[in-house]
Amino acid sequence: MEARPRALEDPPGGVLLWLIVALELLTFAIVFVLVALLRRESPAPFAEGQQALSLSFGLALTALLITSGAVAAQGIHRFREGRLDDARRWLLGAGALGGAFVVVKVADFLQHLAAGHRLGASDFWDAYLLSTGFHLLHVVVGLGLLLGVAARVGRRAFDDAETAVAGSVLFWHLCDVAWFFLFPLFFASA
Amino acid sequence: MRLVVWVVLMGATLLSVASGHLRVALLLAAVKALAVGLEFMELKGAARAHAFGYGAFVALLALVLVIIA
Repeated sequence: MEARPRALEDPPGGVLLWLIVALELLTFAIVFVLVALLRRESPAPFAEGQQALSLSFGLALTALLITSGAVAAQGIHRFREGRLDDARRWLLGAGALGGAFVVVKVADFLQHLAAGHRLGASDFWDAYLLSTGFHLLHVVVGLGLLLGVAARVGRRAFDDAETAVAGSVLFWHLCDVAWFFLFPLFFASA
Repeated sequence: MRLVVWVVLMGATLLSVASGHLRVALLLAAVKALAVGLEFMELKGAARAHAFGYGAFVALLALVLVIIA
């Protein structure tokens, strides 16, 4: 039998985290639109900049985030079943994949900085470094939340487990969704 | 189901690269965002208005980006 939908005031992950996610999605949407406009207005610097991007890096970053999100979702599933040790392992696994994303992204940034692709170098590099840097900032925050709750699940009780555990994972999925739109704007259409 | 969504997400990513067209890739990004919303963000079990609001936002964002592109 299909479960009844939750009430509007009781969303999965909690109201507070959904308000934060909604505001973050709106902010990211503005960033995507600005990048798309810049891409349309400056096609030559964009095409040139895209040639310097590594599609392998882009695909690796996407695969890491997608897999981390799926593993985190499995962790929440286990958490809701009350299998807390399992949940902790899945959430730690998601965090490890998220950590790998950060390492690959930082390597990507360092490679570009070494090649002279800095802020002010062109419209493309301004757009790429600022928007993916903004995304990386969210990944670091999300990773901190994810690992923070993962270390605690099954060991110490939460005052509000829904907001703490499901909310932290919800924020992590926000990072997935934001990357899904950054990927085509910079990598997939190169 | 989560494994199916993972396969869809990875497949859509590869398809967007293979297509090489920004508009196609943006539409696939919207499909991926909807799949993550429904399954991973658990919106399929949320209030209908909540799920619809998220879906409408993603669709509108994709539409605006496709028009600009």
